[in-house]
Amino acid sequence: MSDNGTTLYRYRNAVGGFFDFPVEQARAILPKDLHPVELHHGSAILSVMAFDFTESEVGAYKELILGILVSPRVEPGTAMPHSAFYPYLLGTTTTASREHAIERWHLPHFMKDIGMSMEVEGEGSDRERLVVKAWDEGTPIAELTITSHGWRQAEQNHQSFMRDDEGTFLAQINMAGGLSENEEEAGRLKLFPHPMTDPIGDLDEVNELPLREIWMRDGVQTFQPLRVLSQAAGV
Amino acid sequence: MESVRESAAQPESWTDAVGAPATASAVEYDFSNFYYSSSDDALAVLRPYNAWYSQARPQGYFLFGQPMATAPRPYIELKEQSELRRVQLLNLSSYNYLGLSYRPEVVQAAKDALDVYGLGAAGSPILSGTMQIHDDLQKELARFKGTEAAVIYPSGYSTNVGLISGLMRAGDVVIMDQNAHASCVDGAILSKAETRFFRHNQAEDLEKKLKKVAGKKVLVIVEGVYSMDGDVCPLPDIVEVTRRYGARIMIDEAHSSFIYGPTGRGVVEMYGLKDQIDIHLGTFSKALGGMGGYVACSTDMYRYLDAFSRARFFSCALSPVVAAGVLESLRIVQREPELRTKLWENVAYIRGLLDAQGVDVGESTSQIIPVMVRDDRRIMRVARHMQEAGLYLQPVRYPAVTKHRSRFRISISAAHSFEQLDSAAEILVSVLRKEGILA
Repeated sequence: MSDNGTTLYRYRNAVGGFFDFPVEQARAILPKDLHPVELHHGSAILSVMAFDFTESEVGAYKELILGILVSPRVEPGTAMPHSAFYPYLLGTTTTASREHAIERWHLPHFMKDIGMSMEVEGEGSDRERLVVKAWDEGTPIAELTITSHGWRQAEQNHQSFMRDDEGTFLAQINMAGGLSENEEEAGRLKLFPHPMTDPIGDLDEVNELPLREIWMRDGVQTFQPLRVLSQAAGV
Repeated sequence: MESVRESAAQPESWTDAVGAPATASAVEYDFSNFYYSSSDDALAVLRPYNAWYSQARPQGYFLFGQPMATAPRPYIELKEQSELRRVQLLNLSSYNYLGLSYRPEVVQAAKDALDVYGLGAAGSPILSGTMQIHDDLQKELARFKGTEAAVIYPSGYSTNVGLISGLMRAGDVVIMDQNAHASCVDGAILSKAETRFFRHNQAEDLEKKLKKVAGKKVLVIVEGVYSMDGDVCPLPDIVEVTRRYGARIMIDEAHSSFIYGPTGRGVVEMYGLKDQIDIHLGTFSKALGGMGGYVACSTDMYRYLDAFSRARFFSCALSPVVAAGVLESLRIVQREPELRTKLWENVAYIRGLLDAQGVDVGESTSQIIPVMVRDDRRIMRVARHMQEAGLYLQPVRYPAVTKHRSRFRISISAAHSFEQLDSAAEILVSVLRKEGILA
């Protein structure tokens, strides 16, 4: 943690795919006071994100985040984020990174190390893509392909809501780095039955084509100090 | 109250107010960033939105909603909103497809109705708002569409909202094309029916959705011509799948009625599928140059909508002045098929001009021709230059269309001359070249 209370993570690649699925399935995951962003009436948005961290307080590691896009929290004088999400479950490739994220950010985790690969194919070409594979001792969890569509430097703010036995929390996250985003429906998602994907419910209802693909590279993710929105009784 | 006063203070910069990184450009944000928000204060989103919009407007957003000082003719005059000058522009933006909004006979019919009925209907159509001219219009429309009856609404929006929410209920299912108009979506929301979307124009995806809702009351909704891409519904495939699963089908022919088909009865007529469609909707604001909408239907449906279509009977009836003008437009459509011929000649003509220059017009086959720019960050600047060069052409960018699918939307009219289309294409190509959009 830096002197100003922020926590920095450097990444080589960070990708996010966003997929429509029935809002009832999203509501089954979300705490009742978080509201899903609806692509269309009745269609919520599942976010599948993967990070290849090269430098952090707990070293290098990879991370898979399954979450749902929700309404951002807006208050007079506070940041208007690009997006807000509720990560319902994360998987990481190292125990240290998992313990760090649980302790500092109250992020819910699959409690085993998972395996992950994040390979760039066709680098520099117009068919450039990043293929993410995540597995649990040989059992596949997810395969995500994200395609690029031009690159520019960008800096964006996001919000992440967390809830656990100790209360409800909000993290303000800044993402800086090279950015490519598109809605060309060129990427793909395949989810496999696994404890990480079970909360989604009917996996067939998740569109395999992304409504948006985001790829950031060679950048920094900065967490502002965690904000406590409410504390559980007795904590 | 203290926090309210604080929130009303003027921000030092839009990035401060929005909370965006100080280096961010206003074009990094768009309307979608300000739609969803949760807060302790119902008005908290106003300040960041207005701070952003104040910055974004001079960068091109001022091009939307500029007040026009003339009828939507091929050449129009408007008060441009950057330097507040009056400018004359070649109009490729109005959906006055047959040039009827200012036809002398139409204007005269409206004037005559004004003398007879006054300005407004002064009542709900189910109470005191139905006048003889409304009845005449409904009967003429039903005769034209070949249906037993027609119900008219005060706007196209209220037609879709009123029809869908009037027919469908909680527990029912509405399945619509993902590019269906917002009024279809809002009608489905209001109906409380479960709503699903199938991939644009893909009957196979519709079938996947239909399979999952077997045994329920299902309404499938498509449009004849889609307003952003100008492409036509593959109706035979959609009808075949819908019928096979025992669902009902509704078509919104807002952009295709009165211009498609041998006699102008729409895409349904073009495909010869009139008897396969359960509900025909359309508007008076496009080809007929007026405003309002209609449902062409059976007498049974007419009576049901008369009783249960709240968007209709909790609104004042369509102005009798407009109804009279629309009725005259409808008569002109029937007696002057050459208007449709001219429209399609114009469409073919400008498509030829654009094709010859390699302009990307997407999948359009209709009188709506998107000119694809595919650059969300530059489209507003290009649009400004289009207007400075003398062309009235509306930019369309995310979130109205998906990211990187920014475009200009050309609306061709039978009223355009070939010379005007030559000029339009010349300006368009010249600006696109200068901006590096076109090689």
